[in-house]
Amino acid sequence: MKRAQQPARVARVKKLSRSQGQQILREEEIDSREYEDLFQQQVNKITSGVEAAEETEIHLQAALAAATSGANEGEIPAPPADETPGNHYNILYQRSFDNPVSYIRFSNTVEDCTGCGYDMTSEDDVFLKEYNKKKSGGRYSEDFFEKIMAMFEETAKTHAPYASVDNTVVPFDTMKSVLVDRVRGEVGEFAKAFYDHWVIRQQLQPALKYETSKDNEDADPYVCFRRRDGRQTRKTRARDNASVDRLKKLRREMEDARGMVLATHQREIMKRDLLRTERMIFGQRAILKDTKVRLSIKSNDDDLINQKPQKRPRQSDVPARAPVVGRLPNGSIGPIAPELPQLSDIQTEKENALQRIIETKTQLHRKWNEDHIDLTREPLSPVEDRGPEPSFRPATAQYRYLTPPSSVNSEAFEQNALIQKEAEGTINRYSSPPVEIELQAQRAYRKRVGRLGRLWIDRRNMAPTPLNDNDVIMTDRWKYDQEDDDEQDVYPMDPYDITALRYRSTLPTRSERSAARPSPNDRLTAAALQPPAT
Amino acid sequence: MAGGDKSQESDVPRQKSFATPETLKVGCIAMVYKEGKTRKAEILGVKDTKSGKQFYCNFDNFNKRLDEWVPLARVDLLQEVEWPNPEKPKDAKKSGGQATKKTAAPPSKKVQKRPFPREESVASEGGSTPHPFAEFAATQHSTPSADGNEKLTLALDLDATPGAEDDDPMDVDVEKSVSLAISAKAQPQENFDREEEIEKLRVGGSMTQNQAEISRIRNISKVQFGRYDLYPWYFSPYPETFAQEDLMHICEFCLMYYADPKSFDRHRSKCTMQHPPGNEIYRDDYVSFFEIDGRRQRTWCRNLCLLSKMFLDHKTLYYDVDPFLFYVMTTRDDKGCHLVGYFSKEKESLDGFNVACILTMPQYQRKGYGRLLIQFSYELSKIEGKLGSPEKPLSDLGLLSYRQYWTENLVEILLEHNERDERCSIEHLAALLAMTASDVESTLQALKMQVYHKGEHKIVVPTHLIKKHEALKEKFKTKPKRTIIAERIQWKPPVFTASNRTWGW
Ligand SMILES: [Zn+2]
Repeated sequence: MKRAQQPARVARVKKLSRSQGQQILREEEIDSREYEDLFQQQVNKITSGVEAAEETEIHLQAALAAATSGANEGEIPAPPADETPGNHYNILYQRSFDNPVSYIRFSNTVEDCTGCGYDMTSEDDVFLKEYNKKKSGGRYSEDFFEKIMAMFEETAKTHAPYASVDNTVVPFDTMKSVLVDRVRGEVGEFAKAFYDHWVIRQQLQPALKYETSKDNEDADPYVCFRRRDGRQTRKTRARDNASVDRLKKLRREMEDARGMVLATHQREIMKRDLLRTERMIFGQRAILKDTKVRLSIKSNDDDLINQKPQKRPRQSDVPARAPVVGRLPNGSIGPIAPELPQLSDIQTEKENALQRIIETKTQLHRKWNEDHIDLTREPLSPVEDRGPEPSFRPATAQYRYLTPPSSVNSEAFEQNALIQKEAEGTINRYSSPPVEIELQAQRAYRKRVGRLGRLWIDRRNMAPTPLNDNDVIMTDRWKYDQEDDDEQDVYPMDPYDITALRYRSTLPTRSERSAARPSPNDRLTAAALQPPAT
Repeated sequence: MAGGDKSQESDVPRQKSFATPETLKVGCIAMVYKEGKTRKAEILGVKDTKSGKQFYCNFDNFNKRLDEWVPLARVDLLQEVEWPNPEKPKDAKKSGGQATKKTAAPPSKKVQKRPFPREESVASEGGSTPHPFAEFAATQHSTPSADGNEKLTLALDLDATPGAEDDDPMDVDVEKSVSLAISAKAQPQENFDREEEIEKLRVGGSMTQNQAEISRIRNISKVQFGRYDLYPWYFSPYPETFAQEDLMHICEFCLMYYADPKSFDRHRSKCTMQHPPGNEIYRDDYVSFFEIDGRRQRTWCRNLCLLSKMFLDHKTLYYDVDPFLFYVMTTRDDKGCHLVGYFSKEKESLDGFNVACILTMPQYQRKGYGRLLIQFSYELSKIEGKLGSPEKPLSDLGLLSYRQYWTENLVEILLEHNERDERCSIEHLAALLAMTASDVESTLQALKMQVYHKGEHKIVVPTHLIKKHEALKEKFKTKPKRTIIAERIQWKPPVFTASNRTWGW
């Protein structure tokens, strides 16, 4: 609160806080002489909000003084407005207006409401009348004239957008071709006459001045409605900082990209060198072999054997090398038997044997689980069906490198890429509902009530799907699934909500379904007949 | 003789001498008859008409809306005339006044156009003291003007007339931009001011100074608008050729402007608009309010700004209308909803302004509509849960209207508190009226209500305000008060996303 500096004899004025409650008095409740005195002390100026140079204007001062003193309201003189004499208004504004009962909602623009974008001038009027007079036969209406002119303008705008700067005049032939498109029927001799008239008139159209990025137009008061360029729109520091951060990030990313390109280049060079070396080794070995044969040296061919592990994994790369990871919601099993590229054949053999054992065990487990309905609260679901059928693709989230696998070293591959083995479906699944191949398309969710009434919505693990199925859909379906070792996702849900119930009631019954979609496989049909665990 | 005491000049006294009709020029301060006596007036323009020379005069301490073209007969040549200095005649109105004082812009390719015959001719004709700053290069403004004779005359006049320094009001700003480019070092102050000015324009909807002097002269003489003939008060950047017209037509619904009567007739025969092109957000028996988005209704809002600029000195059309919403008040009849007034509001005001520009059309002024507009702006602020304040600077009429609105509402609340013998804080008053606390404070002080009495801050309601309040109350018993009924507002604060902000609303 601005307060006058009090004279020394007066007690110092306490600062007035805006939140402080003040006593409210009427003037008569205070001694009049005292009241007068109160304002002797006030010296400082009150901020009026009017520009300083105008604050002194005599009419304003008079009006303000009147308001303060209670004298008659001072008025600021202003040029008045008059009613236009005559009845022009009713002639010009003929449409009558029906006020709708409800509040008006309206989004048409001026352009929408004014029809043809060209309004003919007095000169146009003279021209058209002259033209019509000279012309035999029918006359051209003002509407028609305006339509043609609007078209000229429009065409000029598209064909010569900078006409105002470079004075381009769109040639008649251009106009005519557009005209032929628009006006059905003959483009009569009027076109040329209208065009000639338009060329003359065009230069004279009054128009607002917009910015043209010429110099000095900042000072031109006729230039108006400039664009606010984004940066200058608002003076927030936060926005500036955000832009700076974005630029920094961009720069960082550019540098990273550059680094990656350099690294790639490096890698390709190394690959080339590697190939050369391999080739050299091959050649050397061939020579060695020849020499051995020639000299009949009999030793174990260890010096030649090195070649094998180098070459063979390359051929059986795809099936053998890809790490196979089970979906392990309980985290009981890690990646199953990943085969490292440098394993020898023997090791591959061993691994395959192991795989077979696992497969038989799984088959056994499945058999044992057949017709088993788990009604426990946290059921341990049987192993997922994982036949050796190559036509089914086990579902796992997949992260494929865009770059060819050969350029990625195997370790990174194991960590980041869960590449599907196409030949072997080696997916184990636990704690997930029994497989009902039949339902793969529909029944993707299951509702369970857990401890403390918690509601669980289980998402069905990806049922095996023919590989030629749309891959995108499958990946998308698993988009949000992830390897989580100890907790399944909890979907909070109102236990009394009947939405799920309602949804299920809309699904076709099983019999309808099996009738509609014959199972591709008997075994699977049998599985489908199992009632779903609930 | 016109003394330097009245005008706000700085230390450098102006040269004074007698002028002849021929030497009287732009920038001179002469004594001119107005309202029965001679008043000091700055000549902003000179034109030749059939009936002789006319001078566009801005009268000292009169608002610009009272500026007018006067014939030579009204200029009192028996009194000495002040010739323009390097100092601006009203330096408070222009930026960078001091900067030009002693350090005039060094001559540049653009600047040195005018020879210096003036010193001699002044001396010979008026016998006055030679101009002290004659050696400074003069900036000359030779903007090719599409405006025809009138402005051409202005420019010619500037070139030919002696006596002026590099600082004719007409070319102040050209000089400014030139010197900005050339001698930013020599005139840091000016440079800063100009940037600041542009920044102000960017940020707000109104402006403090107009950068070009052409705009000090009203360019439209008469406007036919709906049922009314309007006489504009200030410059508005309608097409330059309109300045030559005696009459301009504006469609009262879509606000399109026409100099040619035939065009206007044709437009009227096609125009189907009958109310502002937006959603009605308020309606009572008396008025309606429409909300118009500057971005969606760019043409209409630009037209509205051009129209209102003729009556708002401090409005700027420097930037486009996109970041504003326009709240338009109308009255209804069987022809449509007629524009009464409006206020614009920034979609996002960093300074918490709830009004950028506010105008009651001249044909509806002094009828209480301004109060409705102001009240509506505060009702919107209440719905937003914010305290609002109009953007500064206010015009003289704006200040009076706001003062009146604030006073009436504050007095009413204060008297209620007084009756109940309750205390009241400034913040409480602010919250009740959705006004900012500083507006409450300034009103209380301006009306001498805020006192320090017996060691305590108190608010005293003066008797004349109580009387006025009671008179109004009495009046409203017979004739109901026109007021905005808050319940009838159908409005939710519009929400704008970050991308709106980034992409220019
Ligand atoms: Zn219209």
